[in-house]
Amino acid sequence: MSELKEVYRAVSPAEFFYKYREIAGFANPARAIYQTIRELVENALDATDVHGIPPDVKITIRKADETQDFYQVTVEDNGIGIPPNIVPNAFGKVLFSSKYVLRQSRGMYGLGVKMVVLYAQMTTGRPVEVITSKSGYKRIYYFKLRIDVNKNEPVVIEAGSWRKTRDWHGTIVSVTIEGDWSRAKSRVLEYLHRTAIVLPYANIVMLTPENEIVYYPRIVNTMPRPPVETRPHPQGTDLEFLNSLVKNTDFKTIEELLIHSFQSMGEVTAKQILQVAGINPERKPSELSDNELLSLINAMKTYDKYKPPSSRALSPLGEEIIKAGLRRAFNPEYVDAVSRRPSAYSGHPFVVEVGIAYGGNTPIGEDKPIVLRYANKIPLLYDEATDVITEVVKEDISWDNYMISFPSPLVILVHVCSTKIPFKGVGKESIADIPELRKEIKLGIMEVTRGLKQYLSKKVKEEEARRKAEAVAKYIPEVARSLAVILADENELNTLRKEIISKLTTIVAKKTGVSLDLIHGIVKSIEAEA
Amino acid sequence: MPSQIDLAARNKALDIIKNSMRSLVEQISRGEKPILVIPKRTLANTIYDLRKKMLLLGPEIQHRSFTDVNEAKKFMQTLLMASIIFDALRNNEYPTIRDLYYRGKHSISYKTIDGKHVSENTWEEQRESDGVIRDLEVYLSVLREDLLILSKEKGKVVGNLVIRSGDDTIDLSKMGHGAYAIEPTPDLIEFVDVDAEYILVVEKDAVFQQLHRYGFWRKYKAILVTSAGQPDRATRRFVRRLSDEYKLPVYILADSDPYGYYIYSVFKTGSITLSYESERLATPSAKFIGVMMTDIFGDSVFRKIIKDKDARKTLEEIAPGVSELKPKNPYLSESERSNFVIKAKTKDLERAVELVGYKVADVCIEDKDVKNKIKKKEGLTGYPWFSTPEWTRELCIFFNTLSKLEIEAMASKGLKFLADKYIPEKLSIGDWID
Repeated sequence: MSELKEVYRAVSPAEFFYKYREIAGFANPARAIYQTIRELVENALDATDVHGIPPDVKITIRKADETQDFYQVTVEDNGIGIPPNIVPNAFGKVLFSSKYVLRQSRGMYGLGVKMVVLYAQMTTGRPVEVITSKSGYKRIYYFKLRIDVNKNEPVVIEAGSWRKTRDWHGTIVSVTIEGDWSRAKSRVLEYLHRTAIVLPYANIVMLTPENEIVYYPRIVNTMPRPPVETRPHPQGTDLEFLNSLVKNTDFKTIEELLIHSFQSMGEVTAKQILQVAGINPERKPSELSDNELLSLINAMKTYDKYKPPSSRALSPLGEEIIKAGLRRAFNPEYVDAVSRRPSAYSGHPFVVEVGIAYGGNTPIGEDKPIVLRYANKIPLLYDEATDVITEVVKEDISWDNYMISFPSPLVILVHVCSTKIPFKGVGKESIADIPELRKEIKLGIMEVTRGLKQYLSKKVKEEEARRKAEAVAKYIPEVARSLAVILADENELNTLRKEIISKLTTIVAKKTGVSLDLIHGIVKSIEAEA
Repeated sequence: MPSQIDLAARNKALDIIKNSMRSLVEQISRGEKPILVIPKRTLANTIYDLRKKMLLLGPEIQHRSFTDVNEAKKFMQTLLMASIIFDALRNNEYPTIRDLYYRGKHSISYKTIDGKHVSENTWEEQRESDGVIRDLEVYLSVLREDLLILSKEKGKVVGNLVIRSGDDTIDLSKMGHGAYAIEPTPDLIEFVDVDAEYILVVEKDAVFQQLHRYGFWRKYKAILVTSAGQPDRATRRFVRRLSDEYKLPVYILADSDPYGYYIYSVFKTGSITLSYESERLATPSAKFIGVMMTDIFGDSVFRKIIKDKDARKTLEEIAPGVSELKPKNPYLSESERSNFVIKAKTKDLERAVELVGYKVADVCIEDKDVKNKIKKKEGLTGYPWFSTPEWTRELCIFFNTLSKLEIEAMASKGLKFLADKYIPEKLSIGDWID
């Protein structure tokens, strides 16, 4: 453990990223522009919907140099804004959060935006520009800054402020990076499209370098419940977190610290755990040795009588929002969604939500449904094959049993939200196969698909009824004509014929349960041909 | 200009169609699904009425509902056919069944619920429209002749008989070498005068002509009729009416083979496919005068067979009294037999099994190879009206000798023999099968 800490100390986080930028998603100019937009958009969204503000996000991408492939990416939000004294560190210092509470958010500790700043510095040398103000502030603040890579410190190049004329709040971040827009464009559009599916409550506008406007207007006024900050669950913690906790606490005893720092941790539980760890509850937190902390974390993780972690820290989208998003995206014939009940793995609460869209403009899945994956409202576009969601769709569901045969116009949307998404690897693009999670995903997909099956079987029945009606209705004119020929004089023939047609139409409609209009249509088509 | 009797028949038919169709329209205007109630024309619903001694339609009824997907087309076809026939009646026409097929055949084009343009024919083959005509006959309980539908007829008649057909009076004893061709609507014939003691129906036209020229009917006071093969409806109806109205016995002279026996059976009990017509077409009192197997072989062959106890027992079970039938001598000598007799074919054997059942064949056939040929017919029990001692003996001899004989052979022995000995002698001693 101490060796690991050595690594962090020997290289500044900024320097570390500088060398290993591929890990953070900046491997090539196309990927870099996509990653930049993502990081800034996700920050913008975290500043809005997490705090109950319906997001208004504006993205502007502009060619910033005539000869080189430099692009200025500006993202504006109507979020809570950033206090001016925090801005330099928030954008200029790679740091870990000093908070000891958890809630579901898109980015972790705002790490991504600093990587954007570093990448801009590396490729174009241009600083990041930030304009921000909070609600109630009288002024708007302006910064131009860069990162000192070796020291991991912000360098403010320019700062200023001006009076606010209206109650604007939010943040505008602008960076200039080297990128390959033409190769990134389709991926960025896909990213926005997928983001808009789960954010029908957001206004999202993008202005491209070609001066095209991509606009996803707000279509619903409901918002997902914002996540509530909660203390971590003892099973979901680690040694690093515990280390930081004991060093920065004001609590006099380790027992008090445990009770106040974790959920599901009362006096009885704390005492039992400390007893297992062989630590006196009265000990001062900062005086615990590394070995004692290790015993403590092991005791905390193996204790099995906790209440499950609270799901209040989560912010599921909710069924209506998913349905609204799918409706807009695909205008489907059938749409449904389910929000599963909260569950947990290793002390981390999670909720699985599944949406389904069928027919209409829904894209065709050739041998399995089109899968839209989301983690904490972020669309996952890469590494689909290794994702547990894809595995469930391919391996755990017998689509035949649901009257679905491929190719089929079928989209399955899976949203996993958690205080800790179990990502596979560092790319944050695919979710790992955790049994608890896999089970919930499977149950969620089965639940929505059952609904689709019912819809399809009803549709088949209605189709049968229509076929039956058609098989009879096509003979109505001939029957009516025959009867009229026999029973009416020449001058009354047509009147009687029409009367019989009308009566028979009603009788057939009533018998088959099919609409009068449909039968009228068939009869009329025969009349027209005759 | 149609004759008075013709016009009267037309008006009657028009009324029948109108009345039944009116009740359908009433159902429709009450908002009820229209239903045609039709006796079932299936083999399973064909029964042999032991009292009336004829094949009749059974009691089973089918409800052909227009709103039933499987019945809708037939419903439409039945009404379409009714309207065409109605139209023909009103316009003083005489359509044949082929005419009706063409008049009703047209395509119905419509747009399906998927928006596709589809076209289908009211009917495809004449077989289909012929079936519809039969349905309509059963539904209206009239025969097609009553609807003035003509069919190709081949029956002929001569004798001391005066009839009125249309507006003409015809003396059937003054037909020269020809004969009166029975009209397709025999119910419109009026019998004016008859001077005859019986009706002789000859299967073969050639034999009919020979007997006619020989003056048989005049000499023996017979009405001579030929069906020229399988009897058509008009010939059967004509024979039935004449027999009914003048209490004349009817004798059938046919080939001595299963086909000949079946022709007799159609005259007497009706046909299986047209059993609904039997009430009006069958002549249950008709008798089979020949040619019998016993006329050819006598009964020695049969007596030899029933010497075997098991054979005798089996045959007695099928037709009690079969072993106590009167002995019979053949009309043909050994050499005549070898000249005239034809070897039976497998098809004849199969037909014979259909008539009397497999057991008789099993007991009477000696040749093992022949037995194997009809093995597939095992289980057949035969028609009830052939399960008589007389027919059992006849068919047993047929199975044993595997022989058949045409009437022409009897004529070859001498027309004189046929006309002056064979027929009169059999009639006088009552050597027929009822």
